[in-house]
Amino acid sequence: MDVHRWMVLAGLFLSLTGCGAAAGQGEGRAEVLFADNCGPCHGVGGEGNPSIAAPAIAGLPEWYVLAQLTKFRDGIRGAHADDTEGLRMRPMARTLLPEDVAPISAYVAALTPVAPDHVVSGDADAGKALYATCAACHGVDGKGNQALNAPPIATMDDWYLRSQLGKFRSGVRGANPKDVTGLQMRPMAMTLKDDKAVSDVVAHIATLSGGH
Amino acid sequence: MIESLVPSGSTFAGDIDGLFVLICVIVGVFFFATLGMFLWMLVRFRARDGVPAQYITGNEPHLKTWITTPHAIIILCDVLLIVGALRVWYNVKQHMPEDVEVIGVVGQQWAWTFVHAGPDGKIDTSDDIAVIDEMHVQVDKEYVFRLESVDVLHSFSVPTWRLKQDAVPGRVILGWFEATLTGEFGIQCAEMCGIGHGIMGARLFVETAEEHAAWMAQAGGTSS
Repeated sequence: MDVHRWMVLAGLFLSLTGCGAAAGQGEGRAEVLFADNCGPCHGVGGEGNPSIAAPAIAGLPEWYVLAQLTKFRDGIRGAHADDTEGLRMRPMARTLLPEDVAPISAYVAALTPVAPDHVVSGDADAGKALYATCAACHGVDGKGNQALNAPPIATMDDWYLRSQLGKFRSGVRGANPKDVTGLQMRPMAMTLKDDKAVSDVVAHIATLSGGH
Repeated sequence: MIESLVPSGSTFAGDIDGLFVLICVIVGVFFFATLGMFLWMLVRFRARDGVPAQYITGNEPHLKTWITTPHAIIILCDVLLIVGALRVWYNVKQHMPEDVEVIGVVGQQWAWTFVHAGPDGKIDTSDDIAVIDEMHVQVDKEYVFRLESVDVLHSFSVPTWRLKQDAVPGRVILGWFEATLTGEFGIQCAEMCGIGHGIMGARLFVETAEEHAAWMAQAGGTSS
């Protein structure tokens, strides 16, 4: 039997026994879990994939990733019928064992951040005035404030920010009574009167990380 | 027989099971008969010293009958299966009850949204009750479901009801059901739809009229 046949047989054996990519215990578990569950959409380095609306997550604060994964798992986020992207994320978060959520969050936080996408057109100058509301929690520099549960937004993709602001405004996100921080964010987003205001403020946020 | 493995929970589940068993029996009989004949011939006509192999054209009447007779039986069985299948197909897929409550079923990567009619008994109105991954229906009541997909191919599969219907993006597909068994059952996607396909499950709650009214009141309205 030649080498090729042995390789085929070994592959069949591994596929049948599920030994190919099983996440074991220990330090490498979070990496394998990330590669299996998060990487296919968010990218192997957490760089995101705008074509399927998967934002960059590399380098996000551990506490924020942990909070969002917990919300998805608990049905507090990603449980609205119009939240197409959130409904994709929810079952993926639910595949994680409870004890895996914290290690995965730490793994994501340790990934090297990537430069955010800047694809939204807006009037950054007009957005600067609107940003005053955001700055109260997210900071003038958009770097966030853990004490206020406000994540950094300067390093987030602008298309993602626009999408999420739209969801907060329409109640697709942040309307669940159990979503304490979402309920705080929603009225702030509703101060933006229309889509142009959203694009303007997002355009200003992009300047905080060197965009536009 | 199949009921011992998966409960039979709809008015047409028995018909589907009957058709399944009929196919298994007919195919099974021919499978074992053919395999038995093959194995018997392997032994009966094995190579023997001094016995030359014969070349048989199969044109002689006494040989042709071994082909034409099974052929005729198979055609007869085919007709039997087609008649049985058409009867079930018409009942499950073609026949559509009229003036019954409609439930919207929307598949997307990787969740099911079920849009239940509110107190007015109609969907696409302001009192609709949209629930993610939970479908609530009343036992012994006919419903029409309106199946859609917002992204890729999915398949709405309810094993307890023996119901399976593809959801095709851009198309609105109608079907119907009448649950006969109360309880909580599984709903699954039966069409490969991406990395989350295996976890695209939902729960089906088949309730009595009182239980359904209580759920509707809790979920957002009162029962009609």
